[in-house]
Amino acid sequence: MRAVPVLKFVGLRLLSSAVVLLGVLIVVFAIVHLVPGDPVRLALGTRFTQEAYDALRAASGLDRPLPEQFASYVWSALGGDLGVSFRSGQPVTGILLDRLPATLSLAVAGIVIALVLSIPAGMWSALHEGRVSDVIVRISSQAGVSVPDFWLGMLLITLFSLTLGWLPSSGYVAFGTDPVGWLRQVALPGLTVGLVAGAIMTRYIRSAVLDVATMGFVRTANSKGLPRRIVTFRHIMRNALVPILTIAGIQLATILGGVIVVEVVFAWPGLGRLTYDAVAARDYPLIQGAVLLVAVMFLLVNVIVDVLYAVVDPRIRLA
Amino acid sequence: MNRVITACAAAIATALVLAGCSAGQSVDLGDTGGSGGALNAAIGGEPDQLDPQKTSSYFSFEVLENVFDTLVEPDENLEMQPALAERWETSDDQLTWTFHLRDDVVFQDGSEFSSADVVYSYRRIIDEKLANAWKFSTISDISAPDDSTVVITLTQPTPNLLSNLGGFKGMAIVQKANVESGDIATAPIGTGPFSVSEYTQGDHITLKANPDYWGGAPKLDGVTFRFISEPATALAALKSGEIQWTDVVPTQQVDQLEGDSSLTLGQEPSSDYWYLALNEAREPWSDVRVRQAIAYAIDRSAILKAVSYGTARENQLAIPEGSFWYTPYDTYSTDLAKAEKLLADAGFSGGTLDMLATSDYPETVTAAQIIAANLEPLGIEVNIRQPDFSTWLDEQNNGNFDMLMMGWLGNIDPDDFYYAQHHTDGSSNAQHYSNPEVDALLDSARVEVDKDKRKDLYAQAATIIADEGSYIYLYNPAVIQAWSPSLTGYETRADRAIRFRDAALND
Amino acid sequence: MSEQQPLAPTLPLGDDRPRLASWRLFLSNGLTVASLCVLVTVVASALLAPWIAPYGVNAVDVAQQLQPPSAAHWFGTDDLGRDLFTRVLFAARTSLLVAAISVAFALVVGGVLGIVAGYAGGILDTLVMRIVDVMFAFPVLLLALAIVAIFQPGLWTTIFAIGIVYTPIFARITRASTLTVRTTPFVQVSQTMGTPVASILARHVLPNITGPLIVQTSLSLAFAILSEAALSFLGLGIQPPSPSLGGLLFNAQGFLTLAWWMSIFPGVVIFVTALAFNLLGDGFRDVLDPRQRTIIEARRTR
Repeated sequence: MRAVPVLKFVGLRLLSSAVVLLGVLIVVFAIVHLVPGDPVRLALGTRFTQEAYDALRAASGLDRPLPEQFASYVWSALGGDLGVSFRSGQPVTGILLDRLPATLSLAVAGIVIALVLSIPAGMWSALHEGRVSDVIVRISSQAGVSVPDFWLGMLLITLFSLTLGWLPSSGYVAFGTDPVGWLRQVALPGLTVGLVAGAIMTRYIRSAVLDVATMGFVRTANSKGLPRRIVTFRHIMRNALVPILTIAGIQLATILGGVIVVEVVFAWPGLGRLTYDAVAARDYPLIQGAVLLVAVMFLLVNVIVDVLYAVVDPRIRLA
Repeated sequence: MNRVITACAAAIATALVLAGCSAGQSVDLGDTGGSGGALNAAIGGEPDQLDPQKTSSYFSFEVLENVFDTLVEPDENLEMQPALAERWETSDDQLTWTFHLRDDVVFQDGSEFSSADVVYSYRRIIDEKLANAWKFSTISDISAPDDSTVVITLTQPTPNLLSNLGGFKGMAIVQKANVESGDIATAPIGTGPFSVSEYTQGDHITLKANPDYWGGAPKLDGVTFRFISEPATALAALKSGEIQWTDVVPTQQVDQLEGDSSLTLGQEPSSDYWYLALNEAREPWSDVRVRQAIAYAIDRSAILKAVSYGTARENQLAIPEGSFWYTPYDTYSTDLAKAEKLLADAGFSGGTLDMLATSDYPETVTAAQIIAANLEPLGIEVNIRQPDFSTWLDEQNNGNFDMLMMGWLGNIDPDDFYYAQHHTDGSSNAQHYSNPEVDALLDSARVEVDKDKRKDLYAQAATIIADEGSYIYLYNPAVIQAWSPSLTGYETRADRAIRFRDAALND
Repeated sequence: MSEQQPLAPTLPLGDDRPRLASWRLFLSNGLTVASLCVLVTVVASALLAPWIAPYGVNAVDVAQQLQPPSAAHWFGTDDLGRDLFTRVLFAARTSLLVAAISVAFALVVGGVLGIVAGYAGGILDTLVMRIVDVMFAFPVLLLALAIVAIFQPGLWTTIFAIGIVYTPIFARITRASTLTVRTTPFVQVSQTMGTPVASILARHVLPNITGPLIVQTSLSLAFAILSEAALSFLGLGIQPPSPSLGGLLFNAQGFLTLAWWMSIFPGVVIFVTALAFNLLGDGFRDVLDPRQRTIIEARRTR
């Protein structure tokens, strides 16, 4: 089989992503319409007056035929207009963009911690395959995957905040405003995210390094008499780097979607906590907006990772 | 390969920069004045909006108490005192009230304050039928003969007019331009001791001192309200010094905190009350004997212990001890035999009970579980539902429940405690209670000007209400707040209003 | 939580090399055996809960609130004086039930979708796989939250949400296995001969998908338990007073320093159960994935 040229691959990938994006829009749009009962009444709750009801219902356009509503929703969404929050009356897009930096900075902190933990662990485990230390690392990484992240967060708070008083248990300062403050605030939530992500990544990095370590050129380098350490770090790292970064990219996407519980435990004002508050308050436009944004980011990161990987490794591009 | 590394590094760097830029959209109105430090406070949730006349969220009022003023306001004993109005007179027939306004009041953006603003604010509430319009129901006209006088004409004598006008900031005086531009919801302008200087959605609201406040410039530079719903998180932040005040204090921690010298605990009996209500539109709860049986079956002290850890006061009526209007009453006690006899008399041998609690108020969930255990020996199977509060309100208003538990907060005048909930035509009578004798008592008490006579009328009405189980009253909770010893000039109030105007931070 | 990539499907072996019986290989791994024992203990305790629980699950006794672990109360008591050991037993029961039903749902629905897509091919395949791709575009907890936002939180909403969220992975696995089998000579000949589809599915497809499905089921059970715990912890899953492990932790948040037993025991049970399912899944994979198996056997004969 011939490898598909890069541009064609990218094009195909983007096309299938567009189809998936359409599906995502349909699902997000459906959220409001699948609600049994009247979403407008549910959202108004206490502030229910006939005028408010009529106004909100008209503003959300719920009396027009479904396909028309969908088309109008997609059209507005493409233009950056995701409607208006039921609860506060503020534009959804603005609210989402406000909260995005916090989640991004937490995700980045988490990934960095995860890489710091998992690269050495994964490599060590792979190079000592079958030995006791490998088994220990493998069990630890399985443990990291099995631990509920909110429980881990609670335990970390109990230890480092309540008992030792070393680190704050909540709050947020933007990195741009005060880098040191941000570092203190992000320590515990970042650690919670990073430990779990690191555990997941250790397994994949271990496999990736194992694959590379058994490749021919490593044996050749060994037989040339190069010191083992140089062989390890130069050849293996260089070749495992792409898989490692791919894994990191995928993990970043996963974190973006999975930080909800950690953000709630640490009162971190990001998208996850926003989604949770919106679900609790039945604020449907906000729920839709948040789900759409996270799904799109998830999709985007996956596409970028796929494309990068394919650019580098032609085997992936086999049609 | 190196290009890939560079590209990825660039991507990460970009992400970090993006993450760093901007922490919120908000208006930043210049620098701070004052010299008393900035207070960091943690409240349990985020305000839904900052328009005092439209919001019904307590979190909003915690903030807005410091931003707006009313014509009159309650002092620490919940007696109404002058605020924007420095004095007033009532006509002999009690139908005309004349308020004389202070002349040193300005809005926080520097614009003039006058009687026209009072008229505008009240007319807005009445004409747009906002949440508190019912407090103005006896007002027939509001006028401003000159810039510093407001005349209110009533359709009938209203002894509680003052508490209606100033009981809490829902009747705050707002600025017309601020309202009409729509900014009031996120950037309100009031006449109070602090103005809103920054609002980061989801994280905090910052107030800064208003040097031109008519009551004297506050000693604090400003106050930042952070939204922390987790008690453990809030307390940890207090102990570590990140915040200096919080009301997110779970009652089970009170014992521990009382002995903690690193912080000050404020505990004050409140004018809130919590109750159970049975849906009298449904069988068998329409039978007074069944309701009384339940009142005899529940274990009040267990509920109190589990919900308040000894901080609440048991009360079988609504008005708390310590108030002038308090009436002692202790007809009920935990007596299963009596309960069984009452049920037998009523011919009710058991069944299911749909209990409506709400996840937004965990005390209702806790109490519901105890009540379920209490009613089980009577053959009543309790099914607990706990929707969020908005849905709870819907269910209540649609009569979709057998029993519910809820509290009424921030009550000042005895009419607030009883009328709307137990009068046949009351706007909050979700349990469908109707007793003409009680109606007559409540109606006359509403217009009775003699305090002692009024108190007696309410005592009679309340006794009948409790005897007939319209509400099964449970307790008056305490207001519990904790703050750093470096915070002075602040006290916990029985109406839960949070006032920082006289507070200062000392090191 | 990460989604594992589907395994390489097993191909029928052509040669007669002596191989260890699967179950012997399976049991030779100490970790796997330990996990199996743990799971049997947990599941048995949970199933027998109504008979072995020392107290009633909702036996409120506020006078006994917040007692530390003792002989009378092995796990201590909660804020309403209820015995925590009893609550944990029943909670494990509910959580395991939710996990089992939702994974069964995902297995059946996803599996069938995958087989249909893989076998029929063409437009049906594309359609089903696009739908699966769309579902994969949503992070797990987010999709579950969206489903809960539509319907009221509760037992069945939780089961449905978790089931839906894990359906795509099963679909992908069975599709991959079915695709491989479909192109083999055996199946193509059978099709030409006119063998009924059901028979082809039963004889060729089913044995092929069983291995990967078993592995994925074990792994998904681990994630389902964690997902249910997260949903209940957020207050959007199983509603109190029905105990669930996540719900117990939700309740414990108010008592972190006052009653450490309320947050430790339920958390440990979640952790240990999820870990056991994960290690079990690993054990299954060692046996059922030929590449892994070859390496292990090769090492053993050295």
